[in-house]
Amino acid sequence: MYIETAADFDVTDYLRKEMMPHFLCPGCGHGIALRALLWAIHDLGLDRDKLAVVSGIGCAGRLSAYIDANTFHVTHGRPLAYATGLALARPDLHVVVITGDGDCLAIGGNHLIHACRRNLKLTCLMLNNEVYGMTGGQVSPTTSETRLTTTTPLGNQEPHFDACALATAAGAGFVGREVTHHVPKLKELIKAGLEHPGFAFVEVLSDCTEIFGRKNDMGSSSDMMMRQKSEIRPSAYLDTVDTPFRSNALPTGVLTRNDRPEYGAAYRQAASARAGTSS
Amino acid sequence: MNAIDPTLTGKNAVKLISGNHACALGAIAAGCRFFAGYPITPSSEIAERLARSLPEVDGVFVQMEDEIASIAAVIGASMGGVKAMTATSGPGFSLKQENIGYAAGAEIPCVIVNVMRGGPSTGMPTRPSQADIMQARWGSHGDYPIIVLTPASVSEIYSETIRAFDLAEQCRTPVVLLYDQVIAQLSETVALDGAGHASATRKWASGPRADYKPYDGGSDAIPAMAKPGDGYRTHTTGLTHGEDGFPTQNPEAVTRNLSRLFSKLERHRDLIDSSEALHCDDADVVIVAIGISARAATRAVEQCRAQGARVGLFRPITFWPFPEMQLRQATANARAVLVPEMNTGQLRLVVERVLAGMPVEGIHLFSGEAIAPSDIAARATALARGA
Amino acid sequence: MRDPVTTVRPAAWPKTPALKVGPADDACNVLIVGVGGQGVIMVSKVLALLAQSQGFEVKQSEVHGMAKRGGSVFSHVRFGKRVWSPTIPKGDVDILVALEWAEGLRWLPFLKAGSGIFICDTKRIVPPFACLNRKPGAPMRYSKETPAEVVAHVGEAYAIDATDMAEQLGNERAANVVLLGALSTALDFSSTDWERTVAEFVPKKTIPVNLEAFRRGRGWIEDARTSTPAVDVPAPTPATAAPYRIRLDINPAWCKSCDICVKMCPERCLILNAERIAELAAPDKCTGCRLCEWLCPDFAIRVNLDAPEALAR
Repeated sequence: MYIETAADFDVTDYLRKEMMPHFLCPGCGHGIALRALLWAIHDLGLDRDKLAVVSGIGCAGRLSAYIDANTFHVTHGRPLAYATGLALARPDLHVVVITGDGDCLAIGGNHLIHACRRNLKLTCLMLNNEVYGMTGGQVSPTTSETRLTTTTPLGNQEPHFDACALATAAGAGFVGREVTHHVPKLKELIKAGLEHPGFAFVEVLSDCTEIFGRKNDMGSSSDMMMRQKSEIRPSAYLDTVDTPFRSNALPTGVLTRNDRPEYGAAYRQAASARAGTSS
Repeated sequence: MNAIDPTLTGKNAVKLISGNHACALGAIAAGCRFFAGYPITPSSEIAERLARSLPEVDGVFVQMEDEIASIAAVIGASMGGVKAMTATSGPGFSLKQENIGYAAGAEIPCVIVNVMRGGPSTGMPTRPSQADIMQARWGSHGDYPIIVLTPASVSEIYSETIRAFDLAEQCRTPVVLLYDQVIAQLSETVALDGAGHASATRKWASGPRADYKPYDGGSDAIPAMAKPGDGYRTHTTGLTHGEDGFPTQNPEAVTRNLSRLFSKLERHRDLIDSSEALHCDDADVVIVAIGISARAATRAVEQCRAQGARVGLFRPITFWPFPEMQLRQATANARAVLVPEMNTGQLRLVVERVLAGMPVEGIHLFSGEAIAPSDIAARATALARGA
Repeated sequence: MRDPVTTVRPAAWPKTPALKVGPADDACNVLIVGVGGQGVIMVSKVLALLAQSQGFEVKQSEVHGMAKRGGSVFSHVRFGKRVWSPTIPKGDVDILVALEWAEGLRWLPFLKAGSGIFICDTKRIVPPFACLNRKPGAPMRYSKETPAEVVAHVGEAYAIDATDMAEQLGNERAANVVLLGALSTALDFSSTDWERTVAEFVPKKTIPVNLEAFRRGRGWIEDARTSTPAVDVPAPTPATAAPYRIRLDINPAWCKSCDICVKMCPERCLILNAERIAELAAPDKCTGCRLCEWLCPDFAIRVNLDAPEALAR
């Protein structure tokens, strides 16, 4: 069963306790996503000395500081690029990227599509709360249409990104999505991503209650979580007709999985083959 | 400039190569094992050469999706403990600036090569320029120190690339190697004597994890770095941080850390400083120049001296931190200073500040052409004669 | 879950030979009930097909409870010279075959008073809503009636651990055919016809095991009729002691009063106290499900399940 490690997983074993309580607002879903990540790391028994977490700027970017591992809080939008250098230079490290919707899809969009294409072994955890929370609630590439933000006072007119479709189209080896409410399922999804030999993209539907929720009159954190839960359609039900899910519901679970060659290994293999012929 | 050592006998000891190739080979000799770049004229030969050479030494070359990703990947590789470099030209250098500031603030060693071309904007991609002197120093936001080296020949590109890595590692700082398109694509004979070079290594964390502070400068203001995998599990951030590496806005902690950051380079000027003074002791007029302009000036000094004009040349090799003391010494007996440079007056601005009160005149050429020795000689001779 | 009741024979065993319901003028009414997934429909189809092959008019109507595994399922089979209504009126059932104990009890009022035959598996499938709360080892609202109590209220009754018998044959799913075998003793069809019909119905590979199950069921009833009635074994009440004690650690320094735990707790046993810090207000209701621990964005709640040995120490 996927929750059998619940009893022996104590999240505080994986936190930098001196940094707690963390700086996130009350009810922010990012903390739940962080738990799922740490639980997945626990389940896989990853050596934290060999675990590197690279994060960008924004609320999601701040999470790395709370993880007791090798953590790097880098510039806005660039965690995937930093992680690419780190993972290529140090293939012995397990590199995880934590990023937000703005960090990953707006300022860092170029790095995302090329990381997907390159298929270097990295796990990218994108926490999507539909808004730039840290800067006070501006519209992001994933803000739903008609939503109010400080920069869309008339309601958002721009269509929003489907990050998983984008990652799949760009060639990511593993793509998945889950809501924060399904913690064990989210943990399993992240675990599968961590185990994937190539680039893994996991989108977490998180909630920003204090800024986005308040602006759009979406109720409490639990209300937002339950709403998200009602708007998804687990991938197991994607091909079935007779289900209670709406046709436009957001698919969750593992959405893409393929075994394209991992870039780092392919590069090293080509290099050693070249060395073999030249000597 | 550097005399070829006639005792070098190795098969690859002496080669006729371009400045960009010399840079790539210098990097390999210095222990660089990671390069990330993006194609841009006139620096692309560095990337092309390293794409071939790095796999041969178990290194990694990667062409990233853009200039920003390139510097980011380089810093990422260096955070992993691997010596890393990127190369670019003006537009790309501008794009990299935010992350260069990150490397300076988080104290991640790395080498950034900027082969200067005409600007602003796309400018003249195939024509030389010396207009990134200020960008190299002040390009990123906020206050930060940085080392900038300005070699003037192909063989000096080779040796200064090696020195750039040494300084980056020793001082935990980004180092910019700044040279112009002329020497980048000029081929000269170079003694590839860096292979046996005992390259500097970073100060790595040792001892118990509980006692280790990632940004404690210790006695030399340079903190020991924790290598991922060694069990220290530290945090690195671009936010202002305390000795423990975690974000802080405590005024004392912020001041203490930034002060140490600046003192770090000041305290190691003996390692960092490098300049050359030619016939300056008795010079009435001292020419101050870098790169290809300094080479023209060398010829000009010979011409002036031949005509009896007491003219000397001062050439900063480490441009930032600027060798102010050395410049003052070199111009101690001078009546005037002439600054030939391929921009509208960036070096002259520095010289005027350092030598306040000294008549400083510039020759500024920004047409995409190099300055001719005769133009420098003519003006220097005139100045020496009191004109 | 294995049923705690072993093979049980009725204490009040009828002395008269079993009622043979056969082709009389009136229709014969058989009601087959159980839980989704047990094979209720299969039993009724076999009976319907057999009756039809014997020249009777047959009406079979089923309600497969939401078609979902675990839901209540029943099927009416009526056959005779002439059958008009597709369903059996309450109190008119000649034979009630139940594949699950509580389902059998649920339908008892449909049995013909005084003469109805009750054939019931002692298999207990406890529906989630029968739990009084979600605590491990919690008491259940599952029927407490023992077979002995039931037998006293019907004309003829057999409580048979068909599931156990089928398991012994290596296929728990053949329990319904064991009951079919039991049912066969109450009707005037030849066992050859029964077995032929069963063989037509089940997958080819499972024909031998199903025929053996049929024979065991049939044999069990025949044995039961000739041997001395066994002593009724009451169903033991399930253990109410939880296998562990639940202890919540709430770190007030980390709690940010978001109230996710309060709203998401399925038992509503958490509150925000006067300081607006999460607090376990109803520890007796807490089931240790960990939802509060998992959904706390601030890592302020830890659910500990202390083993009894640990508590004793």
